[in-house]
Amino acid sequence: MTTIELDEVIVEVAADGGPSRRRLLGPVSTRLTEHRVSVIGANGSGKSTLLRLLNGLSLATSGRVTVAGRDVKTDGAAVRRLVGFGFTDPLSQLVMPTGREDVELSLRRSHRDRDTRRKAAEAVLLRFGLGHLADQSIYELSGGERQLMALTALLATDPEALVLDEPSTLLDLRNTMLLRRALTALPQTLVFATHDLEHALEAERTLVIEDGLVAFDGDPAGAVQYYRARAEALG
Amino acid sequence: MTTGRATRGFGLFGSPVPGHSLVHRAPLWVKFGFVLLVGVSTFVVRDWRVSAAVCGVVLLVHLASGLGLRRLMRSLAPLLPILVVLTGFQWWSHDLPFAARLVLGILAAYVAAGILTATTPVDQLLDGIVWAARPARRWVDPETVALTISIMLRSIPWIAGAFGDVRESAKARGLERSPRAVILPAVIHTVAYARRTGDALAARGLGDPR
Repeated sequence: MTTIELDEVIVEVAADGGPSRRRLLGPVSTRLTEHRVSVIGANGSGKSTLLRLLNGLSLATSGRVTVAGRDVKTDGAAVRRLVGFGFTDPLSQLVMPTGREDVELSLRRSHRDRDTRRKAAEAVLLRFGLGHLADQSIYELSGGERQLMALTALLATDPEALVLDEPSTLLDLRNTMLLRRALTALPQTLVFATHDLEHALEAERTLVIEDGLVAFDGDPAGAVQYYRARAEALG
Repeated sequence: MTTGRATRGFGLFGSPVPGHSLVHRAPLWVKFGFVLLVGVSTFVVRDWRVSAAVCGVVLLVHLASGLGLRRLMRSLAPLLPILVVLTGFQWWSHDLPFAARLVLGILAAYVAAGILTATTPVDQLLDGIVWAARPARRWVDPETVALTISIMLRSIPWIAGAFGDVRESAKARGLERSPRAVILPAVIHTVAYARRTGDALAARGLGDPR
């Protein structure tokens, strides 16, 4: 299991033009050691900001984020090799025209020789049952196939942990189930944000984010109950 | 959104068409040499009949690679108005043989470059660029150069698609004649797309020093 630690983390951005700063997140201190951690919360609550910290896509204004003991700020490249990051929209994730090419792009660093890279890509695609879709344009794939392809491209480099930002938000029920099944089978440590509360319940631990702060941290059932009660109170 | 249309890139910036023709299997340097040769020929050749022959050979290679007439026609469609105007102008200012030589040369070079990008998987193209950029590796990482170029190639059809889509939504509101209603949203879409792509690359550590 990969340990992820946040120590007094604050993320702030400059407010439009002015000298004042707007706080998006924090202060947050937590230590994640579970195999499956879900993150729930309203739109704009800071879920994405929190997740983006975990592989250095965003950097903390103050405080420290470490993954397996490595500081995200000073050792970003090493952290990104450990942690794969998945976006809500797989089309933002897939930068190449076909899935195969995208998987090969992931493998460029580890496999310098083209033939071994080809074989490795083929093996990865077959492992996830996507061999028959590998040469199709990513635009021709269904939403679910596309998300699985994006996931495959992430897993090609064998990361230790995956951070997924609302991976099922754009998917219909069948594809959501397909994705969830694929995720359950993964040996990787998984931290994911979701609006699918059923999915959130499958974790071992759940964080509820509210106005940039961790409002609840604990067992998923309790977290979902808390989140529902809050939404109704504000309703 | 824009994405459905983005696949319909043709010609020079079209996406590769998988295949097993002789052209597909030819090494990259042969294909690149072919493009270069066709390009150089436009400077060297003085007789329009030779230009026509070169153009004919390029078209034959296009057909031999199994890309089909339809793709050829579609890729030429945006270029055609320019070629017609150019022919008229050159005919008027020089003479017909000169105009023919010029236009046939452009046609040959355009189609030849299209054959290269259509029959070469992006990955192979990247390897070629990495190899070609090696002499400069003291200053830049060849992998970064290759990645930059491939992102550029992939983005051109997307941006063209974004313009098409925005034009459609402007039309739906009866604003298709207003350049502001077309250009501004397309530019904003494009910037957003660039940021998303940058995020995806950063998240995968593709810009990190090795």
